[in-house]
Amino acid sequence: MVGAINRDTVVAVFLLLFCGVFYAASFQIEQTSYGTIGAEVWPRLILAVMFVLSSIYLFQSVRKGPDEAARHEAGFLSRYRNAILCYGLFLAFLLALDFLGMLLGGIAFVFLALSVLGERTPRQLAIHALVAVVSVGAMWAIFTFALRVILPEGEILAIW
Amino acid sequence: MLIENVIGAFGEVVQIKILLLMALGVLSGLIAGAIPGFTITMAVVLTLPFTFGLSTVEGLATMIGVFVGGLSGGLMSGVLTGIPGTPSSVATTFDGFPMARKGRPGLALGIGVWSSFFGGIFSAILLMTLAPQLARIGLEFGPWDYFSLVLFALTITASLAGENLVKGLIAGALGLLVATIGEDDINGVARFNFGTDALKQGFAFLPVLVGLFAFSQLMSDVQDTKAARKPLMEKGAKAVRVEHLAAVKAIAGNWINLIRSSLIGVFTGILPAAGGSISNILAYDQAKKASKRPQDFGTGCAEGIVASESANNATAGGALITMMALGIPGDVVTAVMLGALLIHDVVPSPSFIGDQPVLAYSIFLAFFLANFLMLGTQAIALRAFLMVTRIPMYMLAGVILTYCAIGVFALHNVTFDIWTLFWFGLLGYIMRQLGFPLAPMILGVVLGGIAEVNLSRALAISDDLGLFITRPWSLFFLIIAIFSMVFPWYQKQRGRKPWTLGFLPALCLALAPPLFMMGGIPRPIVGGLLVAIGVWLLVSRHRQGWQLEPPEEHEVHLEET
Repeated sequence: MVGAINRDTVVAVFLLLFCGVFYAASFQIEQTSYGTIGAEVWPRLILAVMFVLSSIYLFQSVRKGPDEAARHEAGFLSRYRNAILCYGLFLAFLLALDFLGMLLGGIAFVFLALSVLGERTPRQLAIHALVAVVSVGAMWAIFTFALRVILPEGEILAIW
Repeated sequence: MLIENVIGAFGEVVQIKILLLMALGVLSGLIAGAIPGFTITMAVVLTLPFTFGLSTVEGLATMIGVFVGGLSGGLMSGVLTGIPGTPSSVATTFDGFPMARKGRPGLALGIGVWSSFFGGIFSAILLMTLAPQLARIGLEFGPWDYFSLVLFALTITASLAGENLVKGLIAGALGLLVATIGEDDINGVARFNFGTDALKQGFAFLPVLVGLFAFSQLMSDVQDTKAARKPLMEKGAKAVRVEHLAAVKAIAGNWINLIRSSLIGVFTGILPAAGGSISNILAYDQAKKASKRPQDFGTGCAEGIVASESANNATAGGALITMMALGIPGDVVTAVMLGALLIHDVVPSPSFIGDQPVLAYSIFLAFFLANFLMLGTQAIALRAFLMVTRIPMYMLAGVILTYCAIGVFALHNVTFDIWTLFWFGLLGYIMRQLGFPLAPMILGVVLGGIAEVNLSRALAISDDLGLFITRPWSLFFLIIAIFSMVFPWYQKQRGRKPWTLGFLPALCLALAPPLFMMGGIPRPIVGGLLVAIGVWLLVSRHRQGWQLEPPEEHEVHLEET
């Protein structure tokens, strides 16, 4: 039975559950005595359509049978390594934003992202550091001085 | 009236600052469009944050410059390396690259550039003349008609956007659902905030868009470590001198092809959601059918380049016609433009051109002028493109990701927007990997509010749901929405299953009744013509014994332009 499940089936089941969660959440929407249609009507209409479509998708995926190509695919981690690392680094950049600020955080993110994705020879690391400082520094300067956007300063630069 | 508005717009647009911004936009678009893996949508999205500090006209003129430049940039890599820079230039490579390999890369580039220019100018003229007329028709629309139009825009995007219609429709519904998160426009009530204050305001459009398109695209581009570390183009493209005079002569001998292809481009653009990725293939196929030497196509003939390049640039004008006249984006790029207009507090609708003629005509004029700037900056762009192609993709991706974060922060100066960028970037990447098209989702996000407001208005006027099928325009849009959902099966089975022979006659016959219902003189005449065409198609196919025709060589699919 497990062997008969393919990726689309899993996604379709997830979508059905997603519809269920949002449908339940639609009961939390405040009911008003004004307005032609309640605030919950339109989202429920969309969820009903989505539920029907997801059911069709589930039916299609079950009829398709197991995904032969997926069995021969390379491991999940090696296939999505770069994307996982980049999303992880971006998450770290976001979490550290209050502390490092946009300038230092941005430079650190670019340097680490380039070093993770590219080669890590001393020469390449130096190039990555240069690219990080110049590109983020230039963007920070354009937004701060030319477009007058106050970017997050961070605790470190605030002390200085 | 037209002249007055153009003169008024002239004063707004023809200023040194705006022309410089537009030239910069065109140049950026040309380079971005030329780089395989970068799309015009991404270029326009990334330009948007820079326009926050600019006036409405300055910002929009810059973005239109990027749009026009992007459509023309794809041909550079297509001709010089055989790899189209954007899906809008796929058909250009069919003849552009062989011509370059035969030793005439300068001529191929010249034909491409000048065809783009003429296609763009042609559509700019149609934009100025047709958009006000379409807006007048749009004034007849009631909320029922608008709701059905949005439904049609979503179904046609879903049907053209990928292999699986159901996945496209799910993506569209997901976009509509995302648009409902936060305070609703009608009752002012928070929805789906799950007890958090941050979600009470909902998601800002720009971070959602940048996350879905740019972030996820960059992650897909660096997925393969080996490919990401190589320069953008390994096939070394060399600088060439563009043969302008010879190119103009070649186009002059192809003027019927140029006009036909430009018309195909404009009308593909007018159709909600259909963009340059479709029009270039359609125009190429039509040019081949109409040619006296169809056997030369694919070997480096000028006709193929003229068809593809004039059509894809003309599509931009068509897409702007729908956006300006009805407030419905003609494709994904114009969906971004619509978002940009909303950020600048401009809401396109049928009354927009009449209410704000100077601003509307400034946009038209900016599109017109951008085509001239494209001609002027093309030589610089070619050199810049050759330099950029030496950079590996991973370096560009890392830098652009940070730029995305800074850009979306600049919108409201809140970190929540960068979180939105992150989550929608993740969602977009997962959807790409699972084969869900992103274009319907984006359109769902953009059109969700419009659909809900019009549904609410329709029900406020009358609770009779029958009005959705008794009002002519609403019925018209619902009929084409149904046919657009059947279109993927039609395309797949054309030439193989007998029922496909009845698709076009059925479409013609089904569209006639709403046109008769509209009354007046011209529309019933068009309805009568549709009936005549439908009957003629049925009779001729019956006479041929319902013989199946071989399918088209190139299937039409909407790709992110």
